[in-house]
Amino acid sequence: MPNLEPSPVFKRRKTEGDPVSVHRIQSNQTMKRWTTKREHQIYSSKLFQALCRSRRTSSSTSAKELHQTADRVLAITAKGTTRWSRAILAAPLTAGTNMKKHKRAKVTVHTRLRKPVVNREKRKLPVVERKLKALRRLVPGCRKLSCNNLLEETSDYIVALEMQVRAMTAITEFLSRGEAQAPTDRLGSIGNM
Amino acid sequence: MSGRRSGSGVSSISDDQITHLVSKLQQLIPELCARRSHKASASKVLQETCDYIRNLHKEVEDLSDRLSQLLASIDTDNDQAAIVRSLLM
Repeated sequence: MPNLEPSPVFKRRKTEGDPVSVHRIQSNQTMKRWTTKREHQIYSSKLFQALCRSRRTSSSTSAKELHQTADRVLAITAKGTTRWSRAILAAPLTAGTNMKKHKRAKVTVHTRLRKPVVNREKRKLPVVERKLKALRRLVPGCRKLSCNNLLEETSDYIVALEMQVRAMTAITEFLSRGEAQAPTDRLGSIGNM
Repeated sequence: MSGRRSGSGVSSISDDQITHLVSKLQQLIPELCARRSHKASASKVLQETCDYIRNLHKEVEDLSDRLSQLLASIDTDNDQAAIVRSLLM
């Protein structure tokens, strides 16, 4: 039976009801949040507006900033219910690379080189554990998360990323189609998107 | 649950938890849905999950690249309201 004990995630949430039932409802809502057409439309329009805004403030938008904006709008859509979304919003803008440098400075080179050998003999981290660690690094804000919570965060994150890809593809196709046609044609042909 | 320590989440995760995690993840990853579910080992599912997330990240990166180029060449300010309306339809 899955262990649905309350974790720090639930203490911060403002919804009522006992943590276990909220948790179950959350899983159903997760799917709806990222898979309905409506949510997709809302995200793509919000993203587009955010991109136009950032273009107005800075002279050029690099791909990296755009990616960051897309991630932040995606995280906002989660409405603070998941750890990965909060981690994205809490991270300072374009300081990601600086933080990574700091982390690398702490770990000395020879330790890193020795790691693969030491693992097998003394650390005896099995393959599964190592892969779990890799997964934790991929999902934002989940480096110290337990197995069950990691599952929730990962499944939510994956579905959210899929929506992000769909939305950005739609915007890209829309804009590139708009280039080829006259502005008046654009409105007529997009109704079936 | 035996073997579960609250201090660090990494050490001694029980097999049950891993099995549960793996079976749930399997349903989400397109690669694994297509094949018969019983044959995928835990490490394979986790590997596929990591690869899938990395692929999604890469796709978003490429899309950001394309979009930034597109936006640079289009003047969207005038049509912005119209575009947003179309996206919402």
